[in-house]
Amino acid sequence: MWKSYLTSAFRSFKNNRGFAAINILGLALGLTAFLLIIFYVSDELSYDRFNTKADRIYRVNEDLKFGNNEVFYAVSMAPLAQALKEDFPEVENAVRLKNAWSARIKKGDVTIRENKLAFADPSLFQVFTLPMIEGNAVTALKEPNTVVLTESTARKYFNSTQVLGRTLLFDDHLNYKVTGVIRDLPKTSHFNFDFFLSMSSLEESRENKWLRSNFSTYVLLKEGADVKQFEGALNGFLQRHSGAEVQAELKMTYSSFEKSGNYFRLNLIPLKDIHLKSNRTGELGPNSTVQYVYIFSAIAFFILLIACVNFMNLATARSANRAKEVGVRKVLGSSRSYLIAQFLTESILVTFMAAVLAFGAALFLLPLFNQLSGKEMAVSAQSFIWLLPLFIGLVLLIGVSAGAYPAFFLSAFQPIQVLKGKLSTGFKASGLRNFLVVFQFSISIFLIIGTLVIYKQLNYIRTKNLGYNRDQVVIVQNSYELNDQAKLFKQEVKRLPGVLNATLTGYLPTSNWHNTAMFYKDASLDSKRSLFPETWGVDEDYIDALGMTMASGRSFSKDMLTDSSGIIINESAAKFLDLKEPLNKTLFKSNGGERTESNTKAYHIIGVVKDFNFSSLRDNIGPVVLFLDANNGALSIRVKTTDLKKVMAQIEQTWKSISPNVPISVSFMDQDFDATYRSEQRIGRLFILFTTLAISIACLGLFGLAAFAAEQRSKEIGIRKILGASVPVIVRMLSVDFLKLVVLAIVIASPLAWFLMYKWLQDFAYRVQIQWWIIAIAGIAALLIAFLTISFQSVKAALSNPVKSLRSE
Amino acid sequence: MIKITDLEKFYRTEEVETIALNKLSMEINTGEFVAIMGPSGCGKSTLLNILGMLDDPDGGSYMFNGAEIAHFTERKRANLRKHNLGFVFQSFNLIDELTVFENVELPLIYTKVPAKERLSRVEAVLEKMQIMHRRNHYPQQLSGGQQQRVAIARAVVNNPKLILADEPTGNLDSSNGNDVMELLTDLNEQGTTIIMVTHSEHDARYSHRIIRLLDGQTVLENILI
Repeated sequence: MWKSYLTSAFRSFKNNRGFAAINILGLALGLTAFLLIIFYVSDELSYDRFNTKADRIYRVNEDLKFGNNEVFYAVSMAPLAQALKEDFPEVENAVRLKNAWSARIKKGDVTIRENKLAFADPSLFQVFTLPMIEGNAVTALKEPNTVVLTESTARKYFNSTQVLGRTLLFDDHLNYKVTGVIRDLPKTSHFNFDFFLSMSSLEESRENKWLRSNFSTYVLLKEGADVKQFEGALNGFLQRHSGAEVQAELKMTYSSFEKSGNYFRLNLIPLKDIHLKSNRTGELGPNSTVQYVYIFSAIAFFILLIACVNFMNLATARSANRAKEVGVRKVLGSSRSYLIAQFLTESILVTFMAAVLAFGAALFLLPLFNQLSGKEMAVSAQSFIWLLPLFIGLVLLIGVSAGAYPAFFLSAFQPIQVLKGKLSTGFKASGLRNFLVVFQFSISIFLIIGTLVIYKQLNYIRTKNLGYNRDQVVIVQNSYELNDQAKLFKQEVKRLPGVLNATLTGYLPTSNWHNTAMFYKDASLDSKRSLFPETWGVDEDYIDALGMTMASGRSFSKDMLTDSSGIIINESAAKFLDLKEPLNKTLFKSNGGERTESNTKAYHIIGVVKDFNFSSLRDNIGPVVLFLDANNGALSIRVKTTDLKKVMAQIEQTWKSISPNVPISVSFMDQDFDATYRSEQRIGRLFILFTTLAISIACLGLFGLAAFAAEQRSKEIGIRKILGASVPVIVRMLSVDFLKLVVLAIVIASPLAWFLMYKWLQDFAYRVQIQWWIIAIAGIAALLIAFLTISFQSVKAALSNPVKSLRSE
Repeated sequence: MIKITDLEKFYRTEEVETIALNKLSMEINTGEFVAIMGPSGCGKSTLLNILGMLDDPDGGSYMFNGAEIAHFTERKRANLRKHNLGFVFQSFNLIDELTVFENVELPLIYTKVPAKERLSRVEAVLEKMQIMHRRNHYPQQLSGGQQQRVAIARAVVNNPKLILADEPTGNLDSSNGNDVMELLTDLNEQGTTIIMVTHSEHDARYSHRIIRLLDGQTVLENILI
């Protein structure tokens, strides 16, 4: 019986190659997209799960509200980890990590700049699953100035992993002894470092300060520990430990601090949630958002749905051609269930072929997709553990669900009616088919609108006036390595032809530098009248070199001695402080320690700078206070030249004349900015890719339907032509029915798309409007694509020789 | 074998009701070869469809081998059909995707005959119909006469008690048509009951009895032997 199903299925494909090709190709295309997205989504969901104790690991976060400011940190205090271990029996272990940002490391005669370094407690290897190849996991990071390398880093520096006891020279003066080599970190780790330096090397790690947060703290809870209870106890714990400092620093008890509307709290985030759900200040690396996982899962589902709909549509459209077969089989004694089984076999077979193609294509396209999505996904033998069941499941699910309707529809034909040719149920009168076409195109139009809005928003981010000018700004990232000579370097650079200006500070709108301090409106340091802004030490060239604009007042000046107590605030700081005329007003800052009026410093507002973006455009611009300070973190150089290479060479030359041994490290401000939005750009590209795919698949289906419509009506077309109908008349006749459906789809999809994209845009503090023409473009595009698809078939039908089609009837 | 009494069948459209069979009664005995004749629209195809259990009557009784089947469910009818009836159509109705062998094999598959037995039975019937040499060809590769042989082979492979033939020579030239009529006569002589609808007086003369219909009623019966 099965053999008979299979042979008749195969022969039916052979005799309807075009139909089968469209079916298999459409389904394969949809499945390929589906699989790629599944790879993407499962990769996103797999972050940090390689840790065998992942279920018990939590990061401690810190939330702070003081005065008008709320800050959410991913980092916490230096003594926290140890105190948690001592105070809570349910804490099995705890580990701190601190980004070490960057170092120059010597390898033979060359110096390499490394950017993936972190300080870590020895307990790192007891909490996280980072298998050690060489060294002792318990003692490896105990001693100061020891380092654990990843396997590939060890090979990079020593061509071997057996490197225990060897030393690496950091920044020309610090020797670190290698005490361990671990396997490279999986790509699916929310932090990614090549060097783990012993935390004991860091003086700051021993400070017992509870109002200073610089460490990522992870706790490993004991099996069966009550997380809720533990988290609930954290605030009492914090109060116990930080109360004295709060009292000393803020001149108030912890409880009165909280009563005045402020808070200072700790909370937990499960390790497995960090990658998708955490976007706090001080993350160890850029995280993703769960929103994209949802969006892409939905797209995958829709693409698959479109492909299945094609399948159903083409099969029912073709039903007239198969009606006779159904009739004959029934007359010969086939029961309905046999026929259903036969048609299901056929559809499972098509799905199987499509799935084989799709799996091949997905594996083949994976490297390309990795490039596009910025991931490093790979399929290993292990992947087949879940790929194989997925494959079988998909084939059965799609085969049965896509084949079910045609199977039941076709098998219900009354044999005598089809055999007598009374059944014209081929093409006409299928409300369901129309519904499915509308459904498909609604999804397509939805995706077109979504893509246009996303594209427009991304473009807006790229071209928005950010309040500073990031074009033609060269940043020397390591000017701090010049120490006292950084200023000299700046002066020399400013003299170069083609250089307009330069400013020496690490605090840039595109950098990761953050510093916050408390400012008060009154010398009494009343926290209700306070501000907790980004407080950046800059030089007098800052505003000009970065192309910022003053809203009022003036920039810092070398000639004004009083500017050492002058500050420039941004517009949003003025708004936060509720200052109508901020110029010449005074703000107070505690000198630390004793909180008396005499122990404060007064700052005069000499200018208000127009708001400029310094964090993600998703967030509103926060308050900023600029003050004059010698900070040699980086030198930003505004150039104006057509020969950038020459200017760059001169800058490098200047650097070498001052510091011949340290290599210069340079970036461009616009590129640094783009890097901030790289993940968003990638998402945009992926969206465009999948939308294109979805539309192509929908069109493939429409192409098939149009072909059948033309075939079904060939006799009618022949008669009309003989009676004098012109080709355009016939093309119109054949196209109009379909185009009506597309118009209906536009009407359905547009408001829905508008609404959901409106919601998406709400996440951005700075966003575009969805203009009517976006929807118009999407609609016209859909109509045009549909028309071109259909007209290929209609023109072919209209041009065919009428005599031929009439004779064959 | 067959006894129908006051059989009625109407076709309704929105405006008109057409009477296809008007209280038709007849009896057909085992081993008979009956030809049904009449002008277009007289109800002969309707009658054949009802006799073949492809269609339901609107009134009256249809006894097949002593059982009343006028109101059998589709499933029951299908079951009765595949074990007792064979069909031959004017337009052959072979399945294009299947070879000659597979077309003939089909009824045996539906009656769950084991594969080995199917092979021998199909080969035997193909031999008998003299189209063994075409067993692996597809219907389109055959002439009309050959196609109708295959159709007859398919109709008889299950050894049905009754063969219903709807203008079996309608699409054939006279030489091929005579061959087909000879085949049917042979089958009848071996004991199979045959009911044949035809327009051809020539073909009708192969039968034992001609029933002439007009407006859904029997108007004349010619007993030929």
